[in-house]
Amino acid sequence: MMPMALQDRAQYLSLALFAQKVVSALTEYVDEDRSAKLKPSLTEALSSLRHVDAKRPTVLPQGRLAAFTSYEHLRTVEEVWSAKERGEAIRMIRVLLRSAPRDRETKPTAERLIDLFSKLQDQALWNFEQPRPVSPKVMQRLCQLA
Amino acid sequence: MPTGLVDVLHDASVLHRFVDFIGEYCRQQTRSQTYVGSAAVFFRYVEQLAAGIQDELRREIERATKRTPRLATLRRNMRTYRGYLRLLHALIKPAADAHSLTIPGPLVDLASQQLQKVAGMANSRLLILLTPEFMYFQRPHTDIKSQAREIEGFIPSASFPPKLGFIEIPYSQGPSFFTNLAIYHEIGHFVYEELSHRNPSHRAFKALASAKERCLNKAFSPRASKVPAGTRNAGQTGSNRQAFALAEKILENWTQEIFCDLFALRLIGPAFSFALIEMIGMLGVSRTQCVTFNTDHPAPACRFAEHVKLLRDDEWWKEIEDLQAEQRQFLQELANIPIGRYEFFMDDSRRGPRRLLNAFVTDLAPAIKDLVCQLTTRAVPSVERFRRVRHDIQKAFRAGVVPLTDTPDRRDPVCIINAAFCFYLTAVTEVVKRFEEPGHENDVALHSKWKNRVEMWTMKAIEDSQVMQRYKDVQRYGPF
Repeated sequence: MMPMALQDRAQYLSLALFAQKVVSALTEYVDEDRSAKLKPSLTEALSSLRHVDAKRPTVLPQGRLAAFTSYEHLRTVEEVWSAKERGEAIRMIRVLLRSAPRDRETKPTAERLIDLFSKLQDQALWNFEQPRPVSPKVMQRLCQLA
Repeated sequence: MPTGLVDVLHDASVLHRFVDFIGEYCRQQTRSQTYVGSAAVFFRYVEQLAAGIQDELRREIERATKRTPRLATLRRNMRTYRGYLRLLHALIKPAADAHSLTIPGPLVDLASQQLQKVAGMANSRLLILLTPEFMYFQRPHTDIKSQAREIEGFIPSASFPPKLGFIEIPYSQGPSFFTNLAIYHEIGHFVYEELSHRNPSHRAFKALASAKERCLNKAFSPRASKVPAGTRNAGQTGSNRQAFALAEKILENWTQEIFCDLFALRLIGPAFSFALIEMIGMLGVSRTQCVTFNTDHPAPACRFAEHVKLLRDDEWWKEIEDLQAEQRQFLQELANIPIGRYEFFMDDSRRGPRRLLNAFVTDLAPAIKDLVCQLTTRAVPSVERFRRVRHDIQKAFRAGVVPLTDTPDRRDPVCIINAAFCFYLTAVTEVVKRFEEPGHENDVALHSKWKNRVEMWTMKAIEDSQVMQRYKDVQRYGPF
């Protein structure tokens, strides 16, 4: 395996770890009523998700956002979540940040968010294990745009 | 026992055995070999990680037997750990193979010392790996490190060693000297990744990020770079976003390659250009490939054009422009190729966007040179020393002895390396004639033998210069 392939694969693994962190924080909240990791994880997830839907893509200094800045992350998130689901995820994160852990009614919302981020982790792991080259559609789009 | 737990227990035990083996393997290496660099630190990390994952598996299985088990989550997490271990797995064996008998120790020591002097890189460490690939690589340690940070959230007992860079050397090149100068390019990757990921950002890297943004704006039409949220055509919006991210990644790849070349040149002068040309020669790059950018690398012609610009600025060029060596001619020829002849291919047949290439060459490349110059010191003192003592050093080689390192000029390792490389490229025939019987001037085996000797003398001179410099420093400043 060539190192660039390894590097690309590593990007998918980073995304899997990011999703695992969010799922782990949510699970601790739902199952064990522990919320210490909830706010930092969700805040990080929210800023990263906002970047995906930014009106205009920008170059960010390296490492400023936890996820969704690289091609591999964007590819995975768009494979696994529809635009509607992304919007839903943002909405649910906002609800949890506003009301959890005081409001126990937020636990079903947390469960739904666990499902979404678990799907993301699964897809990222799949892409890590079975990497594919850059999609021809995206290459074509790049050639049209630039 | 909850349904499905038996299967999870099986998977957990397989993972347990895997980490057990890896941990024990690392322990054995540290006991049985001597390493230059930071292998021991890396092996200790792997041992701690192995023990930590075993503990985590025990805890998770225990939790699963007591509460409503989230078996799917547990399985998924085990897959993630396995993935991370897979990345480390690819590093452990090459690190174990790179013990002190298989790598050019004096060169690695010299490179490590020079690295400490780069602004922001004090206390950094190099881990050398022997790779079966015939290519020098700097492993993408940034990703491994960011993953290690995330893993640490789950396995707090294992902290990845800070400021650790992975440098790979092809196993066949382990004992040689000149081709291994390519490790300076790989060290450049380490420096770039280390400094560009700082929080807060390094000032010089902020300027580079702005240049990159300008470059992308220039390449993408204003209409294309706007990605309206909630557009009807969500598929196209997604493609636009990915296309932009891909363009950014391509620019980042090209930027790092030029940065690393210039960084290496700044540290060891034109010897790096010659080493790269030797590598290109061994890899067999065609004339067409010389002008072709791909998604990972800028065209060699573009790289060498940047080499020559920096060598001129640093006054190295006038020292080597008359060198009667094919490598110098090749360097100059490639550097003189007009930008208009550069090509960009995304894959075997698809041409990449010309505007991205042009914006890179005209806008980003000068910003990269500025960045390198801010991070490293000007090479002029080494050039002046080279001018003064290159003939002394080469005279020693002609006499078949290791050059003396008795004066500060003769002790300058950059001087020794460049004088030796120039000799290696142009004068080995003289040595063959002098030391071998008449009629053997064209014996390839003899040429190979004497080239090997020149490399060994150079390595010894570098080692002597380091010992002598240390002695002088101790005399002047006292023991460290």
